[in-house]
Amino acid sequence: MIDCLEFRRRVGAEPFDAGADVEAHRQGCPACARHQDELRAMDVVIRQALAVDPAPRLVAPAEATAGATRRRFFAVAASLVAGAAVGIALLVGAPRVSIAREVIGHVEHEPGAMDATAPLAPAALAEALQPDGARLHPGAGDVTFAARCIFDGHVVPHLVVQTPQGPVTVLMLRHRTLDEPLHLSESGYEGVVLPAPRGSIAIVGEGIADIDGVARTVFESVDWGS
Amino acid sequence: MNRAGGETDRRRRFGRLCESLRPDLLRFAWWLGRDRGLAEDVVQESLLRAWRSFDSLEDEGKARSWLLTIVRRELARSFEKKRPELTDVDALVAAESAVLAAPGDERVEEMRAAIFRLEEEYREPLVLQVLLGYSTKEIAALMGMQQGAVLTRLFRARARLRQQMGLAPGPEP
Repeated sequence: MIDCLEFRRRVGAEPFDAGADVEAHRQGCPACARHQDELRAMDVVIRQALAVDPAPRLVAPAEATAGATRRRFFAVAASLVAGAAVGIALLVGAPRVSIAREVIGHVEHEPGAMDATAPLAPAALAEALQPDGARLHPGAGDVTFAARCIFDGHVVPHLVVQTPQGPVTVLMLRHRTLDEPLHLSESGYEGVVLPAPRGSIAIVGEGIADIDGVARTVFESVDWGS
Repeated sequence: MNRAGGETDRRRRFGRLCESLRPDLLRFAWWLGRDRGLAEDVVQESLLRAWRSFDSLEDEGKARSWLLTIVRRELARSFEKKRPELTDVDALVAAESAVLAAPGDERVEEMRAAIFRLEEEYREPLVLQVLLGYSTKEIAALMGMQQGAVLTRLFRARARLRQQMGLAPGPEP
């Protein structure tokens, strides 16, 4: 049988300790039982206190601060996940330039994404879109790649859609808002980032003659959810 | 499975892990670093490192501990590179007031500030135990310590919090 001192040491470290010796002492010592109850009540408050939301800034527009520059670095670094280096020089541009380069950087360094030609099963597509509450209606073309990728510090749906003009990469960027469409043209890629009901959507392809038309078709095929 | 299919599956699995574990990783990094920007950067860098060595994770059921270990190392690296400019706890509290706020519940807000002021050696095991649900044995493994030392730290963490909340701290182990 443990004494009061040992009991209080034990429950001071683990208030929910339900060991047989702790329980036995608790039954025979009302003062210690009260002490443990106090600690348990305090742990409930500790748990509520620890459950902070440290990420509200993540959904806010990027500020022109050193922190924002740092995040842009990591956003580009995220594109390295796919396996290639993008110059640090890319990091210092204005936000509009930055998003264009980040999108192309991500597309450029995605080995395998453009290789697939077989249409994906609807379940695989849904798995990539459902966390964002979105769906893609038929009409834009077969989806041959769907994944959730790290982009700009967020996990975003990344699709490859086989349009009549060729395959395009689609990135659904709920966290990035735009006031107006942004055209991209770099390294042989043509693309557009469009303001969307939730954030924005980037549509990028190689050698696409009418990227605006393709982008419009893709955009209109997306159900952004409620 | 072809190369593209394997890669897609790998991405999908990693994406799922990131989505489910990122909030815990951010909270953990914030409570240790006490700075939102630092927490975001550390978690982002940790996820990049995790992606690079994702193949080494044999059991995805252990992903959270694996990622927490990476976050701990990354935080240590950040502190080695650059000590936080703000060392005054009052200044840190002011800087992080948006996260510390608990609208409508003064007790929680008071406790949050009290935990924020705890020394890191007490804060970390408390976060691992109460927020993330680790046993003292698991905390000892994560922190590379003896289980007895973890128990002592947890006891002292609560004693300090009791004191700050105006309660008797209890016997010293």
